[in-house]
Amino acid sequence: MIQVKNLKKSFGINEVLKDINVTVKPQEVVVVIGPSGSGKSTFLRCINMLETITGGHVYVEGIDITDKKTDINKVRTEVGMVFQQFNLFPHKKVIENIMLAPMKVRKVSAEVARAKGLELLRKVGLVDKAEAFPDSLSGGQKQRVAIARALAMEPNIMLFDEPTSALDPEMVGEVLEVMKQLAKEGMTMVVVTHEMGFAKEVGDRVLFMDGGLIVEENIPKELFDNPKEERTKAFLSKVL
Amino acid sequence: MKKLKMISLVLSAAFLFILSACGTSKTNGDGEKKTLRVVTDAAYAPLEYQDKGEIVGFDIDFIKAVAKEAGYKIKVEHVGWDPIFVEIKGKTADAAISSITIDSKRQQTYDFSIPYFLSKNEILVPKGSSIKSTKDLEGKKIAVQNGTTGQEVVEKLFGENNDKLKKFENNNLAILELKKGGVDAVVADNTVIETYVKNNPNDNLDFIEDDATFNKEFYGILLPKGSKLKAELDKAVNKVLDNGTYEKLYEKWFKTKPDIKILKDQQK
Amino acid sequence: MDFRWDIIAEYAPFFLKGTLLTIGLSVASILIGTVLGLFIGLGKMMRNKLYALPFKWYINFFRGTPLMVQILLVHFAVVPSFLGTTNAIFAAIVALSLNSAAYVAEIFRAGIQSIDRGQMEAARSLGMTHGQAMRNVILPQAFKRMIPPLGNEFIVLIKDSSLAALIAAPELMYWGRAMQGQYMRPWEPYLTAAVIYLVLTLSLSFLLNRLERRLATE
Repeated sequence: MIQVKNLKKSFGINEVLKDINVTVKPQEVVVVIGPSGSGKSTFLRCINMLETITGGHVYVEGIDITDKKTDINKVRTEVGMVFQQFNLFPHKKVIENIMLAPMKVRKVSAEVARAKGLELLRKVGLVDKAEAFPDSLSGGQKQRVAIARALAMEPNIMLFDEPTSALDPEMVGEVLEVMKQLAKEGMTMVVVTHEMGFAKEVGDRVLFMDGGLIVEENIPKELFDNPKEERTKAFLSKVL
Repeated sequence: MKKLKMISLVLSAAFLFILSACGTSKTNGDGEKKTLRVVTDAAYAPLEYQDKGEIVGFDIDFIKAVAKEAGYKIKVEHVGWDPIFVEIKGKTADAAISSITIDSKRQQTYDFSIPYFLSKNEILVPKGSSIKSTKDLEGKKIAVQNGTTGQEVVEKLFGENNDKLKKFENNNLAILELKKGGVDAVVADNTVIETYVKNNPNDNLDFIEDDATFNKEFYGILLPKGSKLKAELDKAVNKVLDNGTYEKLYEKWFKTKPDIKILKDQQK
Repeated sequence: MDFRWDIIAEYAPFFLKGTLLTIGLSVASILIGTVLGLFIGLGKMMRNKLYALPFKWYINFFRGTPLMVQILLVHFAVVPSFLGTTNAIFAAIVALSLNSAAYVAEIFRAGIQSIDRGQMEAARSLGMTHGQAMRNVILPQAFKRMIPPLGNEFIVLIKDSSLAALIAAPELMYWGRAMQGQYMRPWEPYLTAAVIYLVLTLSLSFLLNRLERRLATE
């Protein structure tokens, strides 16, 4: 599904990703953890080319997205992304936020897009907010709308970039609930998060990143209960 | 109507305040030899213009000679054309000399000294133009400097503010418009037009005199209405005309002899 | 001090004619300047520095030189070289449009760059092209923020159009000067012109305020 080979990324002289190699299989849920500044968000953003890649290759469904000939817009329709800061479009109503991309990119009619949007809002439990503007929603509601917006493009892969980090604690649960539901339905997911509980419960595999490298990867139970690397141990002792 | 009167009253009060703040002529201690503040628009060579920041020209030499005869010191200041009339009207300057033609419309609001200079309008056209006299100007596009007698004479002939008339900020722009083909002729003072043609032979321009149509104009020193200076200055102007100073200055600036008799005749 | 209402009444038809032309000049220049300014603003934001350079210098030139000189240049040099003759109204519209485009370009750029980066990223992550994201996500938001500075620019443009009197375009200030030239009285014509300009600019601010409020409630 996703194959990352020798991925390198620098901002100026600052090398953020040194040599990343990862494979994500269909329907797998991969959780990426690590201290801040470890490069985990940058890694995620490289998967749909929100960051230009300095070196190496990223294959999404077999297509090399680092190849200049690749139509990155087409690849992005297959890869949904959810941001820490939601990034809803404030000038559009909730339902319009969801309808916009299917109509503009997939050229779907307004009726079809609306029906699909309402269905997704029902799924995330916000169908009553369809006509509201994003500013009137709580953080948790905004993030659920953002997930629905990404799902409207019917992606095969979903990327989550610290989806609960900007939320008040009491709202984290509702967002994680939606994500668990997605995982259960068989969505391929890469999730950067600090929610260790979610990683343990939902993750098929956990990657621990530090200093621009994947230090350790394993199934959650093994990684959390029996970390092999010193840096993993040090990090886990601080967050658990 | 009452409202309008109120507004005009308030506005007038505002002007008075502004004008009085501009300062007026100064008297020195004993009060016998005043320094007169004379304003000009130094943008009209060779009568008045700025030579590297210094105000010079025929008018300037002339007013200095007149002031000397009348026993005044003067200070000449370049203020621009419009402000001349504001200053004289508000009496913040004592006199203005700036090739100002004596005419009845202006005399409604201002006083003039006796005439000191003869001027007439001429027509500036490209060489080989079909325009040979003012009659040929009919239906043609004409450029003038706004507020000059050249404008007045064209408006008298072809109607006030008619569509064919373009009023420019100064004669240089009017002449440029002619050169660029925007108009067919420029009407302006003889001194301006002849000096331009003489100095710019490559522009292929020609001047046309038409003494039958263009009235002779006389320049005067502009004074506030009812100015006590008028009698003294008139006497001094006559002295300068009579004692040879005028002729000397005229030859210095225009390289020809003045027609002093015609000026004296105007006084009758 | 006397104030002669009679000569204002006499010149009223000319002031009316001049006002109409001032409105015409301003509206045409605002429209052309805004469209041109959008392109120049986008041009200046191009990643390729070499491509962006001409746009940058366009803005430098038109913001950094006096409008009066620009009007004279356009009237006496640019327009005659195309039309073979001068045309004051055309030259005034060209000069005012080119000049305001430079300011509008900077307003657009500032407006677009004030929108959070996450908006563009969210749109692109959904598969939209850069153009689609600009049109549907960035510009509608940026436009709201541009209204106050654009309004400011339009008001300046209305007043700056008075410089067209210099090349004898018969707009409002031209007739003010003509009246002044005829009667040698400065206050009646210039204050009348000033009051008319004030009415024009106040009307524009009023319209812009309403537009702003309407967009705010949307």
